[in-house]
Amino acid sequence: MKRVGVVRFLGTNCDRDVFKAIEQVGHTPEWLWYEDSFEVSKYEALVIPGGFSYGDYLRSGALAAKAPVMNSVSEAAKKGVPILGICNGFQILCEAGLLPGVLIKNEGLRFIDQWVKLNLQTPLKSWGGSEIDKCEIPIAHGDGCYFLEPESLKKVMDQDQIWMTYDKNPNGSVADIAGVTNKNKNVAGLMPHPERAMWDWMGSSSGTNFFEFI
Amino acid sequence: MQSLKKNLKHYRLSEKEYEKIVTCLGRAPKGVEWAIFSALWSEHCSYKSSKVHLKKFYSKNERVKESFGENAGVIDLGDEESVAFKMESHNHPSFISPHQGAATGVGGILRDIFTMGARPIALGNYLCFGEATEKHMPHIVDGVVRGIADYGNCVGVPMVTGQTEFHKSYNQNVLVNAFALGYFGPEQKVCTSGAHGVGNLVVYVGAKTGRDGVHGASMASESFDDDSESKKPTIQIGDPFYEKLLIESCLEVMKHNLVEAIQDMGAAGLTSSAFEMSAKGQVGVSMHLDKVPLRDSSLTPEEILLSESQERMLLICRPENLDQLKKIFHHWSLDAEVVGEVLPTPNVDLYWDNKIICSLDPSAIVDSAPIYNRAYEPWEFKNKVTDLTKLHVEDPENTFKNILKSLMGAEKSWIYNQYDQRVGAATARDCSESVGVVVLPSKRALGIVLGCRPYLMRMDASIGGMDAVFHPSLQLALKGFTALAVTDCLNFGNPEKSNIMSEFVASVEGMSEACEAIDAPVISGNVSFYNETKTTNITSTPSTGVVGLKSSLNNIPTDQFKSSGELIYLLKLDQVKTLGAACEVLNRAPQFKGELDVKVINEWLGFIRKTVQEVPISSSKAVGKFGLAYSIFRMTSEGIGAQIKLPVGFEANDLFNETLYQAIVTISPSEKQSLETMLNNINLKNFTYHFVGETGGDDFKIEGLIDLKLKDLKNKYSNSWGKNFETLA
Repeated sequence: MKRVGVVRFLGTNCDRDVFKAIEQVGHTPEWLWYEDSFEVSKYEALVIPGGFSYGDYLRSGALAAKAPVMNSVSEAAKKGVPILGICNGFQILCEAGLLPGVLIKNEGLRFIDQWVKLNLQTPLKSWGGSEIDKCEIPIAHGDGCYFLEPESLKKVMDQDQIWMTYDKNPNGSVADIAGVTNKNKNVAGLMPHPERAMWDWMGSSSGTNFFEFI
Repeated sequence: MQSLKKNLKHYRLSEKEYEKIVTCLGRAPKGVEWAIFSALWSEHCSYKSSKVHLKKFYSKNERVKESFGENAGVIDLGDEESVAFKMESHNHPSFISPHQGAATGVGGILRDIFTMGARPIALGNYLCFGEATEKHMPHIVDGVVRGIADYGNCVGVPMVTGQTEFHKSYNQNVLVNAFALGYFGPEQKVCTSGAHGVGNLVVYVGAKTGRDGVHGASMASESFDDDSESKKPTIQIGDPFYEKLLIESCLEVMKHNLVEAIQDMGAAGLTSSAFEMSAKGQVGVSMHLDKVPLRDSSLTPEEILLSESQERMLLICRPENLDQLKKIFHHWSLDAEVVGEVLPTPNVDLYWDNKIICSLDPSAIVDSAPIYNRAYEPWEFKNKVTDLTKLHVEDPENTFKNILKSLMGAEKSWIYNQYDQRVGAATARDCSESVGVVVLPSKRALGIVLGCRPYLMRMDASIGGMDAVFHPSLQLALKGFTALAVTDCLNFGNPEKSNIMSEFVASVEGMSEACEAIDAPVISGNVSFYNETKTTNITSTPSTGVVGLKSSLNNIPTDQFKSSGELIYLLKLDQVKTLGAACEVLNRAPQFKGELDVKVINEWLGFIRKTVQEVPISSSKAVGKFGLAYSIFRMTSEGIGAQIKLPVGFEANDLFNETLYQAIVTISPSEKQSLETMLNNINLKNFTYHFVGETGGDDFKIEGLIDLKLKDLKNKYSNSWGKNFETLA
């Protein structure tokens, strides 16, 4: 049973879903508020859930990346604490410079809600390890097109930082990228929502692995 | 005299209504009073043309905790769970400014739900657009869908169901109806809007007031003319981020019991909230308009009263709770300003710079509001015939392809794939299915279906009204759900025309009869009249939202065939035979034969539900628009074909005719006996069931009539949208 911090910003809207998912697999979630710093050593892992922090004003994730709580998140990242950003959480981690690249508008310029199949490229020590290959989970995003300049992309590839790719690219992401990790492999970002695939009645329960093996 | 005429036009009041105001006040209205009467006596706020008939609705049973008196209806689900739901129109704003109009429609209906103290957990949308070739239509469709998506996705409430219709009668007046449902857990109380407790404080929370939406309510109560473009400043601007903060903060202050009464600022803004809270609570309130937080300091008192700026609430709290209340709103980065207090006198007193500018007794205004019993004729069933004309389908394959090519027959996933259908992590069935299903914390399932088929309304308003309740109830029963209650959104043309009013009365009576028969009361709703542009009226469209409950998540059949080799059955309760939606594609006049027997339908729905609950049905679907062939085709969406052999006596016409009511179910061959035993026990007049074929294969085959490759049909079906709306593909 691990203690997992769940970071909430104004406008986060998948917070309760992630909280529930973590509880479901037997870990202990705890809220972290955007205005407060926290004691990093108290948490064995952190999740930044999806949503529309600050209504996506300026750029998705840009304002949240400057919130006080992110100082502690950065500190945790440096100390090797496993951190997962989902959807808007992924955007925030990119904007905070904790993950490479940016997420721009989907290729078709429209929000997309659909199920996708994912291929695991680089198994991480946390967030499902190697259990998540070929998993099917839903996406729901408007700014989900992952982008990197060719040179940076090569570097990211060489350092095995591509975590997961789409089986069928829904949004125009470079190299079909659905999720990336940092150089140390402790910070990860993913556009699809594993917390929405926790029971067969949701359409799939393959999201449980992400939270079980933290 | 000249200035009186000008005022009447500006405030959209009639001369007769002016005389009533003079009687009510004992003098001529002055200053902001004009604006107050204009707003509160508008069709939108006062229901002056519909009230007489809305009273007829079957609206109460032992489950109903609130119906019509408050912002939304509430029903008790047992097990200490309740839900609030309602549907509302945003037609006029959406035509003038599609994106903002549709977005604020979603915002408004959500506020109606969380004002009651319920957490919004599901959205639905019922849309009617004009022809794709109509000049502005692609722009309007695009704007409306983006507006709904931008708002709903950002606040984080899943879209679980919807319906979209197309017809030329909506070319100049589209319909945008939003449905929302909220959940109350064991500890959550229903909040109401009646002000009470002399000395309690009136608190303004949420976004600041701007000039947007001034006179919105009276604009929505008017027909369109060439000048519609100039009405843009009366459109409200929405901010879903603020709404999200408002949801969380309001639910939190309610949880801590800091709120005595609460009302959102919707149509006619501060005016209607203040007057309604006062009238409902039978107390007065004072309001200092200069204390209202403003976005633009040049706003006049009248504009402040009538602004329809979004994401605002008015609430009453005890003075000793104010600090804690403010703290919670500040936590969510929102302002909470005291703007007045509850008074012992019955009057609403409005102040500007500490000077009283208006003092009116709201009950007097509400009680003396005009009520019109508009002229209407008894319903004549003029399209009813004794012998139905044949559709004369000579080439069924071609007719079928033409249906898929038509906008009505096209796949609509372009629309719903732009909506977040799964936030909340409780969606068990999304918009791709006929019933949207949300899982409750008690692990019971809630089913939501929207109804009203405009082509049936064009055929007959009485049958169309009943069908707006029965068709969704059949869809629910086919998934094992019991329909519990209904909300409606009555979209009609000009009520001052007796043919429109006749359709209104016939459909309302039809709906009510259907609701009573299945014991599902109408608990909330909204009326939108004057959907008329330059004397053309829309198809009368009484849309509905029907909510059903199922005690477990097990055995909910899907819409799609799930495996090959299953047996396909047609269940038929032959009451009304119609040419159906196909007659519009084939350019035939609508006709029908027979009548609906509400008692028999109710019994049949009960049998269907029982069958689905007790026999493992794999997939099920109500036969809907375009009849049997189209409905079976829709079940093949996962690539499993159908091999159909129609029973003796069926012919090509029967593939496209529609019979109220029919359903398709499939079952594994090993369960054949148990299904037939169940069906043999149904002893109802005009009920028959027929084994019609098997699932499987890669073609769509109806022996002797249609034999087409499934892949080709699927392509036609999914490409049809893009072919109709080239710019939206």
